[in-house]
Amino acid sequence: MENLSFDVFSNSCFGFLGPNGAGKTTLMKMIYGRCRRTVNADGMMDIFGYDPAGNELSIKYLCGVVPQEDNLDEELNVIQNLKLFARFYDVPAPEAIQRIEALLEFLELAEKRTSLIRELSGGMKRRLVIARALLNQPKLLILDEPTTGLDPQVRHLIWDKLRQLKNQGTTLLLTTHYMEEAFQLCDRLMIMHKGQNIMQGGPKELLKEHIESYVLELTDADASEEFLKRPLPSDIRKDSAGQTVRFYSNEIDSLKTVADNILTGQYYLRQSTLEDVFLKATGRMLNDRQ
Amino acid sequence: MTDNKSQRYPALYKRLFSVWYRHMRVYSQNIFSNAFPPFFEPLIFLAGIGLGLGNYIEPINGQPYIEFLAIGLLVTSSMWTAFFECTFGTFIRLEFHKVYDGMLAAPITANDLIIGEILWAGSKGFFFAFAVLATLSIVSLFPGAGLSIPLPNALAAPFIGFINALMFASLALLITSFVKTITHFNFFMTGLISPMFFFSGVVFPVDNLPKAIQPIAEMVPLTHSVRILRCICDETLSVNLLWDAGYIVVFTLVMSLLAIGRLKKRLIK
Repeated sequence: MENLSFDVFSNSCFGFLGPNGAGKTTLMKMIYGRCRRTVNADGMMDIFGYDPAGNELSIKYLCGVVPQEDNLDEELNVIQNLKLFARFYDVPAPEAIQRIEALLEFLELAEKRTSLIRELSGGMKRRLVIARALLNQPKLLILDEPTTGLDPQVRHLIWDKLRQLKNQGTTLLLTTHYMEEAFQLCDRLMIMHKGQNIMQGGPKELLKEHIESYVLELTDADASEEFLKRPLPSDIRKDSAGQTVRFYSNEIDSLKTVADNILTGQYYLRQSTLEDVFLKATGRMLNDRQ
Repeated sequence: MTDNKSQRYPALYKRLFSVWYRHMRVYSQNIFSNAFPPFFEPLIFLAGIGLGLGNYIEPINGQPYIEFLAIGLLVTSSMWTAFFECTFGTFIRLEFHKVYDGMLAAPITANDLIIGEILWAGSKGFFFAFAVLATLSIVSLFPGAGLSIPLPNALAAPFIGFINALMFASLALLITSFVKTITHFNFFMTGLISPMFFFSGVVFPVDNLPKAIQPIAEMVPLTHSVRILRCICDETLSVNLLWDAGYIVVFTLVMSLLAIGRLKKRLIK
């Protein structure tokens, strides 16, 4: 990991995007002392005034962590899991009960308070892990792929809760593979690749600066061989990958003109998204970690 | 913008206690099935020896064989439980259930976690030795059982069990730090712990071993904790026991330091 530098403002959400193996999780783990960085004169980390190399406990006390994999105690039920975890923060029992009740309410798990972990759905487990991370009322919430594998209803519910937390003053750090999630939640983003910072900025800013506004996607390249040989207007950029050819332009009319010439009719004209920026930045080829 | 709140992370003893408490809480969730073995297992031995095998064995140094074995079992129960807890148990928490991922996100250091683990295994050793002692004492109340337990001296058993379990927990954690596949523990179970059960003065006195093998018995940990408990029960304390006590202290310290050093690398990359 090198050439990485970023600042996160309080009460904001900062997102890390990058293919598997880009170093997102490692970076998150460095923040709360689970991974060690090589300490040298050039490297510096400051989390609420602390460096994880020497103040691991202070940082952990201020942070809540939602790891990639759920790791709840299967032998215990929902409320027992939370009570047990509150002890790690030395929260006095009556206070812990109050916080647990509020968190179960907040994450809509109140009805499941006495359910065993194996009786919970994937989305409920995830919400419980989030509740657990919130037990000590963290100033910084670290979320490593919080909604991977969840259905859209649960995902939207979680987004909504995370936005509420941000509005209440919690700073969020997030990794995700869902560009939609990054777009919805993050105030600032960093796209990482092979441990390096590729680009950084607000989601809308990244869209504006790094990609044309519109995309025309042609999904059957072989059938349109003839058409693809023709020269293109200068305001259009072409990008081929497998059977898909994409034309990018800021002028929707230019793309419409091109589309009219696609005889097969197999095309899709749309606004460009963060996913286009991401793929442009990190390449379409798979690396050995994907 | 350092915040005062962060200075309030729990003190060391509270962190160790919370690790210990986590294990205790999960263990006691299924207390009946978990506590069944230490209470019941001694009965199998007693029945086997008392009803059958014992008739063929001469008393050892004037002590009926069943009593000789009973004292040994008080110590071995703590060995088995501590060794299981910190090999299979630790490995499952580490690799399969990812329990440590959760715990290390809380204000707990890897050192706290490992030391808490050893202390928990020690407590289990205390509990197991106590359970065996309770069963044996109850059986000894029946005149027909032919068993007498040297109370109150035998009350030392849970404490020796605690110390013995600390020793085996640190050894087990060091082994766990090397093991990549859970089945590899079989080498240590069958190759190390089972032989120790037979050749450390539990089943027969170490003095009866061939002279050439006796030094080997002196080298393994179980011999020393068994000897200390026997001497307490027989009231034959002597200065020689300082060797055993010294061995236990040094062994536990060295093993646990090595285990902490190695396991930490596995917990914090």
